[in-house]
Amino acid sequence: MNISRRTMIQATAAAMSLPALAKATSPSPKPQFFTPAEFALVDEMSDMIIPTDQQSAGARAAGVALYIDGRLAEAFEKDQPERWRAGIKAVEALSNEMHGKAFMASTPEQRLALLTRIAAAESDPKSDAEKFFREIKSGTIRAYYTSKIGIHDDQQYKGNVIQPGDYAGYDAT
Amino acid sequence: MTLIRFKASQEQDVDLSRTYDAIVVGSGAAGGMAAHVLTSQGMKVLLLEAGKKIDINAELRSMQWPYEHPRRGEAPPGYHAIRFNEYNVRKPPYAKGSAFKHVFSYVGGWGGSDYVKNILVDEKDHPYTGTKYAWVRARLLGGKTNIWGRLALRLSDYDFKGKTHDGYGEDWPIAYADIEPYYDKVDLYLGISGHKENLPHLPDSLFQRPNKLTASEVKLRKSLATMNRTLTPYRAGVTTDGVKNKYRSKCFGRGACGRRPGGCDIHAAFDSPTGLIYPAMDTGNLTLRTNSTAHEVLVDPNTGKARGVSFVDSVNHKTYEAKAKVVIVAASTLESARLLLLSKSRQHPNGIGNSSGHVGHNFCEHVMGPGVTGLVKEMVGAPPTLDDGKPGGFYVPRFRNLQDKQPGFVRGYGFEGGSGFGLFPDSAWDTPGFGGQFKKSVREHAGAFISMGGFGEVLARYENYVDLDPEVKDAWGIPSLRFHYEFSDNEKKMCEDMANAGKEMFEAAGIEVVGVDKNILTEGWSIHELGTARMGTDPKTSVLNQFQQSHDVKNLFVVDGSSHVSASCQNPTWTIMALAWRSCEHLADEFKRGNL
Repeated sequence: MNISRRTMIQATAAAMSLPALAKATSPSPKPQFFTPAEFALVDEMSDMIIPTDQQSAGARAAGVALYIDGRLAEAFEKDQPERWRAGIKAVEALSNEMHGKAFMASTPEQRLALLTRIAAAESDPKSDAEKFFREIKSGTIRAYYTSKIGIHDDQQYKGNVIQPGDYAGYDAT
Repeated sequence: MTLIRFKASQEQDVDLSRTYDAIVVGSGAAGGMAAHVLTSQGMKVLLLEAGKKIDINAELRSMQWPYEHPRRGEAPPGYHAIRFNEYNVRKPPYAKGSAFKHVFSYVGGWGGSDYVKNILVDEKDHPYTGTKYAWVRARLLGGKTNIWGRLALRLSDYDFKGKTHDGYGEDWPIAYADIEPYYDKVDLYLGISGHKENLPHLPDSLFQRPNKLTASEVKLRKSLATMNRTLTPYRAGVTTDGVKNKYRSKCFGRGACGRRPGGCDIHAAFDSPTGLIYPAMDTGNLTLRTNSTAHEVLVDPNTGKARGVSFVDSVNHKTYEAKAKVVIVAASTLESARLLLLSKSRQHPNGIGNSSGHVGHNFCEHVMGPGVTGLVKEMVGAPPTLDDGKPGGFYVPRFRNLQDKQPGFVRGYGFEGGSGFGLFPDSAWDTPGFGGQFKKSVREHAGAFISMGGFGEVLARYENYVDLDPEVKDAWGIPSLRFHYEFSDNEKKMCEDMANAGKEMFEAAGIEVVGVDKNILTEGWSIHELGTARMGTDPKTSVLNQFQQSHDVKNLFVVDGSSHVSASCQNPTWTIMALAWRSCEHLADEFKRGNL
């Protein structure tokens, strides 16, 4: 069965209209679970885990914090959102201990020092702040690499396209 | 975009006052094939399916991007899939007392759980008891063929005549030559893609064009050839060149093949509804009733023969009877055994067709878990290529106990594997650190990994069996199955060898081994359960003859995987369909001669 040119054009038109549609119907980017302060911390930390580089924009541009917020707001198992809230508190406590101020009130260098410290125990996290690093890193990976920016700009994923002729790849010779 | 423009045929009204030529119980690979063969022979068939009929394309959405889905493919809150640890720490029924709204088998926990939430059964409604077992069930028109893994392999006389070869178990009552013409028919009618290898232990099919390999797979293939082993492109029950079937498209190498639990919304991958059932309806000889859970094969008190089927409507919970001259059971290996055991009568006190006492026994499958992951160094930093949109990566056929004799175990195993760039860079989970270096490393390594896992033959043993639980019932009041099943030492030894051999093969190819998994997954994980109503020549030790006909009741046939005498290590679906085709041709001949 051939894909008619007409079908292809329709599909392209539908794809092109998608972003506009999404913009019109998506809720305002106001966090539902995080407080504004918590949201700012998660947004910043996710963007430190996957920052913008020459290839692609980072976690902030990909809306990672907002996606995490949406999942936590509707979570069925309540221990998961509670764990996030407790983890953020632990990070704030550590920030106060290290630098005498809240995470977002710290300088970029101080934030990096904190993240480096809690990331060092990644393979065997002990403290709540160290455990939180694992939590937010997992959440960031999941949200970023399923986002438009992650899939197309960063990974430059080539699949999920129609291959009307030969399939890509190598023959078994 | 949908490439399918045809709706299913008009369904015929079910007439329960009528005596059909045949009733088929179950609409998966086996039941669909029975419906196809019998209706094409002019028989009037009533097909009963326990599950519902749903708009399958709306479920599968094969080309939907993660970011087009509100939860990136995950099911809504309150849906839970049983985890590996739960299967092993707890005992079935696994959903008992669960706070979740819906509980699914582990398949519901794969990426893309939202796409199977209406396909898999809710474990809360379908309890089972006994030993630990990861039982995966799909109740809907077409059953598990809606989400199957699509690896379509033939068995050989190493399998059919296994006892002759190594002394273990029983030979099948057929040889490869008996089933070969029917494998051919299945290949041509449904379409299969693959590459010819001329292996005596894995006969070639009548292939349509194969899937391509990645550069890493070519490397491994070349190295394995020097070890007299084979890496072949995934032999898939997918039509890549098209078949004469208006309900199916050929494969365009698109979509979500590699990232979700199966399913193809243009039906290039075989599924029973579009491949078998809708064309059978077009003959005008097939009547379908969904939401119909068969719970008893009814017996004529004078003749002892089957006279029909009693079923519960799963929506209104009322019981109905359907009448037929022949009854064909194809409810899946475990559900078929359950139905036979439930069908107790004066003539068949242990369940219909069970004078041998073997129904439910000789339960076997494939053992899996051990595998290996490697890094192909020259692929690090390679620009992204299109490695996705194919039903599978590669298959390494059995190489143990063919010419050689392993000290620790009999029979063998094959590997399924894959490599290259996918929609999601799985290696990100194991990449340490954060920041620019982390991001760059994930990008550079995304296409450089190759992995494979073994599927090994679990020996058919009488001691492994299911029976009816005396107390626990499902949501419709039907007694549940109780498992008495565990892997033996042969499987454990084989699994040790899988991990070691996998590692050796990667190392020989110059692939850096970055992970070796030695854990055996829970019984049932392969979703290849077989053997609970085996064929044989001796009515004392088998349930069915070589045509899947009950030794005890000549108008009763069981045409699914329960009839298999041994599990082999090859995936069973293609053999299930070839056998069902052969048996149903025989059935139709006998029916016409008035012998049933």
